[in-house]
Amino acid sequence: METKTIRYLLICGVGLAVAGAFPLFGNNFTIRFGTDILMFAVMASSWNIIGGYTGYASFGNVVFFGVGAYVTAILMEKAGLSFALAYAAGGIGAAVFAVIIGLPVLRLRGHYFAIATLGVAEAMKALVQNLDITEGNAGIYLPMLDMTVKHQYWFFYYMMLATLLLTLVATYLVLRAKFGYSLIAIRENEQAADSAGINTTVAKTAAFALSGFFTGLAGGVYAYQQAFIQPGPVFSVHMTVKMIVMAVFGGMGRLFGPLLGAVSIEVISELLSNYFLVAHTLFFGALVILAIVFTPKGVVDMVTSRRFGIAYFLQNIREHRI
Amino acid sequence: MAVLEGSRLTKRFSGLVAVNAVDFQIDEGEIVGLIGPNGAGKTTLVNLITGVHPPSEGEVYFRGERISGEKPYRIGRMGISRTFQVVQPFPGMTVKENAAIGAMFGAGGRGKTARQALERAEKILEFVGLADLKDRSSDQLSVASRKRLEMAKALAMEPQVVLFDEVMAGLNFGEIDQAVELIRKVRDDGKTILVIEHVMRAIKSVCDRIFVLHHGEKIADGPVDEVLNDENVIQAYLGKRYRELTERGD
Repeated sequence: METKTIRYLLICGVGLAVAGAFPLFGNNFTIRFGTDILMFAVMASSWNIIGGYTGYASFGNVVFFGVGAYVTAILMEKAGLSFALAYAAGGIGAAVFAVIIGLPVLRLRGHYFAIATLGVAEAMKALVQNLDITEGNAGIYLPMLDMTVKHQYWFFYYMMLATLLLTLVATYLVLRAKFGYSLIAIRENEQAADSAGINTTVAKTAAFALSGFFTGLAGGVYAYQQAFIQPGPVFSVHMTVKMIVMAVFGGMGRLFGPLLGAVSIEVISELLSNYFLVAHTLFFGALVILAIVFTPKGVVDMVTSRRFGIAYFLQNIREHRI
Repeated sequence: MAVLEGSRLTKRFSGLVAVNAVDFQIDEGEIVGLIGPNGAGKTTLVNLITGVHPPSEGEVYFRGERISGEKPYRIGRMGISRTFQVVQPFPGMTVKENAAIGAMFGAGGRGKTARQALERAEKILEFVGLADLKDRSSDQLSVASRKRLEMAKALAMEPQVVLFDEVMAGLNFGEIDQAVELIRKVRDDGKTILVIEHVMRAIKSVCDRIFVLHHGEKIADGPVDEVLNDENVIQAYLGKRYRELTERGD
């Protein structure tokens, strides 16, 4: 037990050191690439709270990203707030939004919940496209960060890294607390959870709000980084699909699963698009299918149980009846 | 004063009257049996008491306080817990974690940390005889162990009243005797118990009193021997053959 904890801490420390030192050795392109990976790691890890641990597969989590981005943008541009305040407000705004839509939508389960969340995200996009305060489809400009280009890259990289750390530490603390147990109980058997004394409505809504909060923070950093946002990109379904694929690929309901998924998916798709200019999405799709078939519990399960052989793949296929 | 009381409890599912104007009382420390043919409304009655369904008419009182209309989680926290006829474990959790959920969020959960609840769960698993299997995944258990886990989850909530909904169905004779022993132990622990069961051998040996539902109505209520010799009960549920057999002493 003791050695296991030490090894665990050691791996976390090394990972953190590598991530922290990364910009010192990278050029602008690689730092920007790293920032993207971190951003998707935040979103996939946030999705994991509601989709992985609570068992409610949200297909509209991008809405929190968009809300966070727009709250940050509007507060900085129109209210003249500093980034620090607007960043926090972006997360809080997304969390409040999650509570408001969560209360009705979290009454639905399974496919119905998935479709309802998808609908919420699309409806929100349409709303933002037509409001005055968001300046519609024309988009909204943010103040520029007053730094050298190199330091800008560094700033956004470390902001995303800090946001990711916040997300992972919060998830870790949740999992150790009663709240975390209540989420997993809801995923495993909601009726039994209810009769065991869990207020499922409150627990689910809190999980959704937490998921929204961190996704919103990532949206705020993204908006400032881009210095210009439009409804189309920040409310894109494509982003939701990406965070789900990353979480599933890495391992749903595992703390480091989505992070591992984000890193591997981004790196693989980058490599593929370098080698195959036209057909890279084809290869990429095939790879995702293979991963789902052979390692449905995610890459993290394969790494932690240290089984890479054919026996492990066959066992997975048998267990999941494919 | 009755710990648990139902007054004119009625549940209608569109046209069907599942439970019809049922009155009942359960006193402190009693083990009361509830019997009746399949479809008589026994599980519906449990669902009315625990808030899974709101009653169409009538009220449920817990220590004199009206609880009908409350949500299941609220009733669980007040001190009434139940088992499910079709067992409802948390399949992805270990046996210990299953019991710990009850300890965390039940009547005794307030002020307990997750760690304390896990310790409490170990004690409960010892009590029901599942201590050896505590680190197993709950979907790897035998039928008898699943039923016990269901009881452990309910008991971990530290309830005052426990409703056991067919915890012996599917068990063999030896396992039934163990379950009867366990129910007695629960009572000795100071809890009030309602047992729903088809296993007459268990009902006879463990209950202080029984009442009978038939087509949603209560047709008998009283001491075990009296009710089992009641003409209506024999007609509706036990059958003449049961009386012949018991008279011969089988």
